[in-house]
Amino acid sequence: MFLINCPYCGERDQSEFSAGGEAHIIRPKQPTELSDDQWAEYLFMRKNIKGIQFERWNHAHGCRKWFNMVRDTSNDKIHAVYKMGEKPPIK
Amino acid sequence: MLNFNTTIIDTKEYSEIEISVIEPILKINLRGKNRDFITKIGKELSIITPIDPNTSSSNEKLNLLWLSPDEWLLYSNDKIDIKDVNSLEDKLFREISKVKLGSVTNVSDHWIMINLNGTKIFELLSTGCPFNFNNFKNSKGAVAQTLINHIDVIIHNKNFNDLNLFVRRSFSSHLWSWMNDSARFI
Repeated sequence: MFLINCPYCGERDQSEFSAGGEAHIIRPKQPTELSDDQWAEYLFMRKNIKGIQFERWNHAHGCRKWFNMVRDTSNDKIHAVYKMGEKPPIK
Repeated sequence: MLNFNTTIIDTKEYSEIEISVIEPILKINLRGKNRDFITKIGKELSIITPIDPNTSSSNEKLNLLWLSPDEWLLYSNDKIDIKDVNSLEDKLFREISKVKLGSVTNVSDHWIMINLNGTKIFELLSTGCPFNFNNFKNSKGAVAQTLINHIDVIIHNKNFNDLNLFVRRSFSSHLWSWMNDSARFI
């Protein structure tokens, strides 16, 4: 259990949120020109690193807005929270 | 056809807690993003649209709750006559939906309003809720959307130790039973 600072509602318990997987995955501009392997890479392959990861989260039981988060998966420490469309505050 | 019949029409009293279902109440969901939409709501309802998170505004007839940056819940202070339920909705629909400023949805039959008052209401809610009520209980007009006993609710802190709680109709009996059961042990 940990607290998440929703960029719209403020600090709330993690149980109000849903994780939406890795963030900043860009959809290919010409999907028809991709091979099956390249399409599968875009569609299914996700990093599952132990350490700092960029993720999408949804405040499902609050404002229902999506946002991005930089989280250390090894200890659940949240380094940054930022709105959709904004650039990550840390690299 | 809206169904205004709730399965619970009751008031229960416990030690310093009173829980009652207040229905039928008019509830309208308003969604829109641009400044014209926000101005239009204020003009049509004679109410300031709350744009700060977790806040609300009220006049003598209506309350407008902030739900998200582009969503608000409007509800009436008093019980409504079912025959008149469409008049405000029609007015807002004409002024907002028809001119494509935003959307207007009548959710009167979607949410059930439960009023809680008494000095121990926050102790009752805290037994099944992850939300921190420390600042909330002292902020008149504050709004929170959270979970109580894993049920989605909207809580409006209407006055000191007097709040309105909105729960989806399908979960209302379950939450009502849970609250009555928990209140016995507070």
